Amino acid sequence: MTLDSEVQSLRQVPMFRDIDPARLKLLAFTGERVHFSAGQPFFRQGDAADAAYVILDGQADVTLDTPSGPLKVAELARNDIVGEMGILSDTPRSATVTAAVPIVALRIDKRVFLELLNQFPQMSIAVMRELAKRLERTNARLAQSNS
Amino acid sequence: MDKSLFRYIWRFSKREQLAIFAVVIASLPFYFWSLELPKRIVNEAIQGGAFTEGRTEARFFIISFDLPPLMGGGTIELFEGFSVDQLGLLFGLSTLFLTLVLINGAFKYVINVAKGALGERMLRRLRFDLFATTLRFTPSTLRTVKSSETATIIKDEVEPIGGFIGDAFVQPLFLGTQAATAMAFILIQNVWLGLLAAAVVGVQFVIIPRMRRVQLRLGKERQIASRKLAGRIAEIVDGMEAVHVHDATAWEKAEIGDRLHHLFDLRFRIYKWKFMVKFINNLLAQITPFLFYAIGGYLALKGQLDIGQLVAVIGAYRDLPPPLKELIDWDQQRLDVQIKYDQIIQQFLPDKLVPLDVFVAQEKEDGPLAGPIAAERLRIADPHGSPIVEEFSFTLPFPVRLAIIGDGGPGPSTLARVLARRHDEYAGRVTIGGRDLGRISEGQLGRHLAYAGPEPALFPGSLRENLIYGLRNRPIRRLTDDGPQARRRRMEAERTGNPIDRLEDEWIDYERLGVEDADGLDGLLLGALGRIGMREDVYRFGLLGRVSSQRMPDLAEKVVEARRRLRSMLAEQGLENLVEPFDPGRYNAQASIGENLLFGVAVGPAFTGRGRAVNPVVRKALDRGALMDDLVAIGARITETMTEIFRDLPPGHPLFEQFSFIDADELPEFEDILRRVAAKGLKALNSEDRARLLALALDYIEPRHRLGLLDDRLRQAIVAARVIFRTALDGSVWARQLDLYDPESVCDAAPLRENLLFGRIAHGIADAQSRVMRVVSAVVDELGLREEVEKVGLGFQVGPGGRLLAPHQRAGVNLVRCLVKKPDIFILDGGLAAYGEEQARHIREGLLATFENRCFVAVLRDEEQAEGFDALIVFDGARAELRRSPAAGREGREADAAAANVAGGHG
Repeated sequence: MTLDSEVQSLRQVPMFRDIDPARLKLLAFTGERVHFSAGQPFFRQGDAADAAYVILDGQADVTLDTPSGPLKVAELARNDIVGEMGILSDTPRSATVTAAVPIVALRIDKRVFLELLNQFPQMSIAVMRELAKRLERTNARLAQSNS
Repeated sequence: MDKSLFRYIWRFSKREQLAIFAVVIASLPFYFWSLELPKRIVNEAIQGGAFTEGRTEARFFIISFDLPPLMGGGTIELFEGFSVDQLGLLFGLSTLFLTLVLINGAFKYVINVAKGALGERMLRRLRFDLFATTLRFTPSTLRTVKSSETATIIKDEVEPIGGFIGDAFVQPLFLGTQAATAMAFILIQNVWLGLLAAAVVGVQFVIIPRMRRVQLRLGKERQIASRKLAGRIAEIVDGMEAVHVHDATAWEKAEIGDRLHHLFDLRFRIYKWKFMVKFINNLLAQITPFLFYAIGGYLALKGQLDIGQLVAVIGAYRDLPPPLKELIDWDQQRLDVQIKYDQIIQQFLPDKLVPLDVFVAQEKEDGPLAGPIAAERLRIADPHGSPIVEEFSFTLPFPVRLAIIGDGGPGPSTLARVLARRHDEYAGRVTIGGRDLGRISEGQLGRHLAYAGPEPALFPGSLRENLIYGLRNRPIRRLTDDGPQARRRRMEAERTGNPIDRLEDEWIDYERLGVEDADGLDGLLLGALGRIGMREDVYRFGLLGRVSSQRMPDLAEKVVEARRRLRSMLAEQGLENLVEPFDPGRYNAQASIGENLLFGVAVGPAFTGRGRAVNPVVRKALDRGALMDDLVAIGARITETMTEIFRDLPPGHPLFEQFSFIDADELPEFEDILRRVAAKGLKALNSEDRARLLALALDYIEPRHRLGLLDDRLRQAIVAARVIFRTALDGSVWARQLDLYDPESVCDAAPLRENLLFGRIAHGIADAQSRVMRVVSAVVDELGLREEVEKVGLGFQVGPGGRLLAPHQRAGVNLVRCLVKKPDIFILDGGLAAYGEEQARHIREGLLATFENRCFVAVLRDEEQAEGFDALIVFDGARAELRRSPAAGREGREADAAAANVAGGHG
């Protein structure tokens, strides 16, 4: 798998969909491809948020620590991004992410990511748009559950 | 140091100065002779004066002495000379003249060298004196002294003074006597011409310096006037609003116009003076030959002067102006240097210094400082006079563990600094063992009292050197040989008032520390570091350090063994995929193409960065391995990607430095190369462009950069080229600049960590680094290597001011530095500020135990921290109160002892 295939994967991520290919290539190049073996955690709930991950291949589980033990709340698959909220909001990890099968992911360092957002307004706007969409969806869901 | 520069110079260089004077005086007869000789050449040889009355032979080079009348008069002839004809005489005399020129030159050379040596020695002495004086600055002086200023004074400002010192006495004497000799010579030839020359010289000598002085004075005035003009303009611009509001433009214009006129006037006067000086100088220089030709010619025609004399006089006169000019210059330099010297001396006045006797008498006063500490009516005020510590008296027993507790004011810390003699502006009396604190010698205090302040002062060098800084008080034993070099060095040191101690000598008293040798001391240091929780840090430094197979053969052998054990242990744990070992027969995917080709670690610049792309051996290996074109193509592909993705980042952006193969400022050049490639293909590039592309390719690591540029064919070709390279390197001039990987021996140029791994940690495996390092740690422990690694870690370079260490590590070094000298009194003032509360408490408890039978003073924030201390001094603002510890952990004797001695307590 080369840089170009990673760029293809990044293009599938909604947050990065509208970004210039050269920019995505920079994002991929400054990122680091990481292999996780099955059961290996990406990060644990409460850790400091130092990076976001785009899953290039494989599946991961998102779990919450509850008094009655870990509770699986979501599953991540190919081309999903995880951990991006933590690096944007500068808060500790809100959940634990663990590789379900052997995984290949692209690790995007927090500092590098913020550097890129700083440098390229187009990227910042893309990220903001995605966050706004998510907020909208959440509002809609709230409205639904209230009605 | 003397107030007057000349007295200072004379005091320390009398002997040398007088020796040079003697040489100067000895040179004068030869100089005189060389003036005289042209006369004889013209008169006797050219005009045939020696061959009158039909003589065809003359005697040349007669050596004879006229005896004074007292010894009966007459002449003693030692050598009756050669008999020569006119041509012979001409050449003989000319040769003699040449010889004299050479002798005069030799004299000048000897005098100049002696002057140079004298000047350099005095410069060395002056610099050393200033430095030694700096070491005597009192703590309060140190607060106002700027370190950079002091460094500049010692380094730069004394430089011109040093240059002048050699000339100070010799130059006027040398030039003066030379001018006087020439003058005397002219006078002897003809009194009138002599007086004429003397008059011209006198005018030059009197008028020119005066005129120049006027010029200098005007120059200074101009400087001040223009500075004022600039200041006034700035004021007006700043106050422009007022100018407009009150319609004062005309007024301000008038003012500036006035100033400009004044400035114009000054500048014009300077011009006039400058050209007047030039005019007079030129006039005098050119009018004299006119007078000489005219009057001298007249006298020659009259027969009162022969042609030879005239030629000699003109020759002698030509020699006059340069020394005079230099004398005038010397005079100006003297004024200038004296001013500079005065300014420097101002910085080093005695009232800023600790009295000298605190530094001497170190030998006999080396006893411990084990005695009660007492203060009598101690009062400390800040520079504005408000009290930091109000009148306070106390007596502390020895041993004691004292906590000074404050509410955030400057009191506690200042009191601690007073006890450590780091603060000397106080009233009252402080004694240790009955002796006045201020009179205890520096040596005794430095060896038996330690003070750890909030800002540790670390020096660049290794961790070890910083830790043992307090142990190297003075040389114990001379280790250096006594060859001619060493003798010369010592002699020079003695001549210039410098120390004869050498850093290479034995400075550490191992016996006193209770260890055998340096290795034992390392153990001691590690023990102390362990007590403050720094062992792990040192271990990590050790892994970054280098192991020399020459100096540490045992360790090197064990490292190779550990390398094998690491391999097997990784395999046992199923982690062998985390490290890709270096295998001479295989391509290491985790290393760059260049590393795979060189298969070693660069020692010099020949094999780093672009150096290896232009290195002939590398190029040879690539050419023979038919790899060159492939790698240049890879370089071009990398360039394409880099220019594409980094193009829009501004130069200097942090991402550039961290990730790009290409520097920001080189990007346009690489774009040009790409254009050339697009137009004419890779083959058409010149060798420089190809080298640049090659350099990029050599840095490429496939799993890290993921550009998909390598295939198995290329990998095999690179491994094959590795063998060619190794053969070509062997015996070439670059052989020593590369330390080759060898599975069976240690690579001296690589860090210990790399040597243990002997491979690369795989890129892109989550958590690989820490998992591998855990296994490394296990191997190190299994083979009992940990202490050896830590000893390597003691060689870690801490950087300027210890900047390569974390704050708590710096604080730790400072603490250990204090502790290893086993002080009788240890004063801890904010030395734990860099630690967390839990660790600070832990360290404090350790210190309390260590100092059970000595004196330990700690500045603390609140009484809760003071658990375990025998006595407390508690501050309320500037008021201090001595209390005995409230039900301290120590019962019985200490409490009683404290109670007995605390009697002097005073609120």
